[in-house]
Amino acid sequence: MPDRADLLPGTLDLLILKAVSLGPLHGYGVLLRINQISGGALAIEQGALYPALYRLEHQGLVATEWGTSENNRRAKFYQLTAAGRRRLREQTESWNRTAAAMAAALRARTGEV
Amino acid sequence: MLRRLRSTLAALLRRTRFEHDMADEIRFHLEARTSDLIAAGVDPKEAARRARIEFGSMERYREACRDARGIRPIDDLRADIAYAVRVLRRAPGFAVVATLSLALGIGANALVFSVVNALVLRPLPIEHPEQVFTVQSDGDIASQSYPNYRDLRDRNQTLAGLAAYRISPVSLEQGATAVREWGYLATGNYFDVLGIEPVVGRFFHQADDLAPGVSPYIVLSYDQWQARFGGSRDVAGTSVRVNGRPYTIIGVAPPGFRGTELFYQPAFWIPMMMQPLVEPGNPWLDRRQTFNLILVGRLKRGVSASQAETDLNTIAAQLTRDYPTINAGMRLRLTQPGLFGDMFGGPVRAFAIAVLALAGLVLLTACANLAGLLAARASDRRREVAIRMAIGAGRGRVLRQMLTESMVLATAGGIAGAVLAALGARGLTAWHAPVDLPIQFDIIVDGRVLLFSFVVTMAAGALFGLLPALHASRSDPQSSLKGEGSTRFARRRWPVRDVLVAVQVALCFVLVAGCVLAVLGLQRSVTTPLGFEPDDAAIASVDLGLAGYDQARAAAFRRRAVAMLSGVPGVKTAAFANSVPLSIDQSTTTVYPDVPSGNPRADRRSVIYYQVSPRFFDAIGTRLLEGRGFDWNEDPHVPGRAVVNQTFAKQILRGAPSIGSHFRYAASGPPIEVIGIVEDARYRSLTESPQPVVFIPMLQSPNLTTVFVVRSARPARQMAAEMRRVLATLDPSLPVYDAESLHDMLGLALFPMRAAAVALSLFGLLAIALATSGLHGLVSYAVARRTHEIGIRIAIGAGARDVLAAVLTRTAWLLGIGAVLGAGTALLSGRLLATIVSDVSPHDPVVLMATAALLVLVGFVSCWAPARRALRVSPVTALRTE
Repeated sequence: MPDRADLLPGTLDLLILKAVSLGPLHGYGVLLRINQISGGALAIEQGALYPALYRLEHQGLVATEWGTSENNRRAKFYQLTAAGRRRLREQTESWNRTAAAMAAALRARTGEV
Repeated sequence: MLRRLRSTLAALLRRTRFEHDMADEIRFHLEARTSDLIAAGVDPKEAARRARIEFGSMERYREACRDARGIRPIDDLRADIAYAVRVLRRAPGFAVVATLSLALGIGANALVFSVVNALVLRPLPIEHPEQVFTVQSDGDIASQSYPNYRDLRDRNQTLAGLAAYRISPVSLEQGATAVREWGYLATGNYFDVLGIEPVVGRFFHQADDLAPGVSPYIVLSYDQWQARFGGSRDVAGTSVRVNGRPYTIIGVAPPGFRGTELFYQPAFWIPMMMQPLVEPGNPWLDRRQTFNLILVGRLKRGVSASQAETDLNTIAAQLTRDYPTINAGMRLRLTQPGLFGDMFGGPVRAFAIAVLALAGLVLLTACANLAGLLAARASDRRREVAIRMAIGAGRGRVLRQMLTESMVLATAGGIAGAVLAALGARGLTAWHAPVDLPIQFDIIVDGRVLLFSFVVTMAAGALFGLLPALHASRSDPQSSLKGEGSTRFARRRWPVRDVLVAVQVALCFVLVAGCVLAVLGLQRSVTTPLGFEPDDAAIASVDLGLAGYDQARAAAFRRRAVAMLSGVPGVKTAAFANSVPLSIDQSTTTVYPDVPSGNPRADRRSVIYYQVSPRFFDAIGTRLLEGRGFDWNEDPHVPGRAVVNQTFAKQILRGAPSIGSHFRYAASGPPIEVIGIVEDARYRSLTESPQPVVFIPMLQSPNLTTVFVVRSARPARQMAAEMRRVLATLDPSLPVYDAESLHDMLGLALFPMRAAAVALSLFGLLAIALATSGLHGLVSYAVARRTHEIGIRIAIGAGARDVLAAVLTRTAWLLGIGAVLGAGTALLSGRLLATIVSDVSPHDPVVLMATAALLVLVGFVSCWAPARRALRVSPVTALRTE
């Protein structure tokens, strides 16, 4: 899969927050949602998702609840807390600023310097 | 922050639940992925496999999840401890020896510390104890007279209050008869200065203590209230007879309040102004020259101790100006209350701290010992460590594991040690000195002691664990696994252990030297001439004043008692005095030379005095060197004769022809003629320097406290019982106390030295045991490691001597170096030991020789078994082992 980009450090947390901000999801659902919203362009080992989820829960950014999945199985659902929402907003802004700055920097040509 | 802590705690406390949920969640993920893959057309078996591959290392992510919850370090610790326990269980002998030696080391420290805590650190149970000080005089009289006290109290600007008290016995009604009980005479402001509230009734105050004899009030101590009245609250306002007169019980002191002296358990407090009735026949409230009160003051808010000292010394200077003969050289100091200020406090605290230092040495020895054993074990475990490092354990992880082992050992030792200390403290508190005075220490294992034990335990664990652990973790997996370690690394590791052994031997030497010193000192002090002859002498005491006798009746009673005692079969001599040497009750008086030298301060001397009957010197067994003693024909109305001891003759009569020369009791008083000189004796303690003493005829200067002394051919204890019986026939209502052989009474004088000897001997034994096991471990280890080499040596023809030399040379060197180091330390620290033990110097060749001999024995014992093992090495089996 040559067209899949490696994940930059720290971006997995942001992606998870984004994914669960769209509605409560179980772990596998988070994975599918990330694949979906990133167009399958981001590669992570599936197991790596869970330490990140546990970390976010530990920090109080997501809350968990056991519920029933779409095919009637017991599953643990993650959902954004108020603190998580705040963090997502901040991180998104900061990411956009960085991305814009990077994009501008990379657009630079010899004549403009 | 709080939320994270809660999340960690929740994970920890509901650990199974946490693991279970995690497993469920991962299983759900795998199943969901598998069914998705199947839906996408993958073969079911292949789908499950692919789902697992896509997930990655399940164990690693699980671990990462636990980490995310912050429970990983605790998990590791738990695993480390479990592993350490497993390792130690595989070496039970080592674990038991290590735990025991640590328990003894830590227990000794905790116990000694609890004594220091009780005597030095724990504040008195009073309000703001840091503001309260003993006001004490410099010099040999630490106490004050009542008139001096009154002036200091009324003129000072810096104290919120200044109280005075004195330890005093009374005869307290009990049923039809009376018992002698000890308590305090205290000034009216005493409880207010200390800030104590009664549990029942009220305390007396300044207004209750204004005029002599008008306030017959008594406050009971809590223990006395419980013992006598079963804690009944109706006791306040009832009456009890004290010295035969009715006193009103006005209140009860709170539990735990025992006055300001740490060693004393009072039964009561009576207002100071009742003194003439409490101590009949000896009124001193108006006598400025009677120094017998301890002063305790509370600083005003914001005043420092040194400001108060300056203020009080200004008054002292005025008092010296006004009463130069009495107060010459008066200087006041504020000291920590609890042990009569510095009078007992100085020596007691110094002793306690010296013993704490010794206990520390024992623990250090134990640590050195364990470090040596652990180092030996660590090099045996190098393979295991190498394997763990090879499969990915970090160096820190290995280090932590080894440290956990020593901490597990230390903790086991610490817990056992704390239990030992608690038992010891209980024993010490239950101990009552063999005297009439209710001496009792209140030693408990409180939070401070436990904290101390904990810190000591952790420090010990780190101390003996760190060095071997560092060494083990430094090993290189490759060469260790190849088996090179046994030769290449051995050389590098040896010196550390060698140093430990040498240090241990040195510490052991110091402790054993101290032990030998104490035992020798005790033995010598028992055999040194006391200046009197305790064998075959018995004593019995009565306090005629407390029983309401006046001087005339008392004199008649004593005459009759001596006559009756002399008639008892077997009695050689019967006599009496106000006190006997080396008993707890020693009084001093001031004397002046016959001709003033012009320097009142140098002329005024404080000397011990005894009021004695005729034939007292025969009864107690003191030799009369010159002149004569007193006789029954001494005219009570012509005072002016005395017998003195040699030191008095030398220091106060200053070489004047002794018999017939004079001195005075007051600078301008009548001259007193010396009619006899007796040999010096020990009066206050066995370690004192020679003391000037004067003997005054009891017939001329009566005292109502009377000790009868009888020398007889019968066993002294039996005689003491007989004396009690004889005195009871004379007056059945009179409490007789301290009826015992003179030898038994000396137990008190010998007590400090006995305590020192016991403590030092225990420490010495402990050190010897530790040194023996340490050396034994070292030599055994050397033999075991060098079996191969010894086998080769024997195979090529080495004899027993060569083998022993190969194995033991190093040990002998270490013993020698350790002994030299230890001897040096013992010599340097000798002054410390000399304060405890009389007549023995650590420079004494006997001490050093005895210690060295003991160490040679220790070396021999510890090398015996391993050396035999070395000699029995069979070359064939030895060469097969590798």
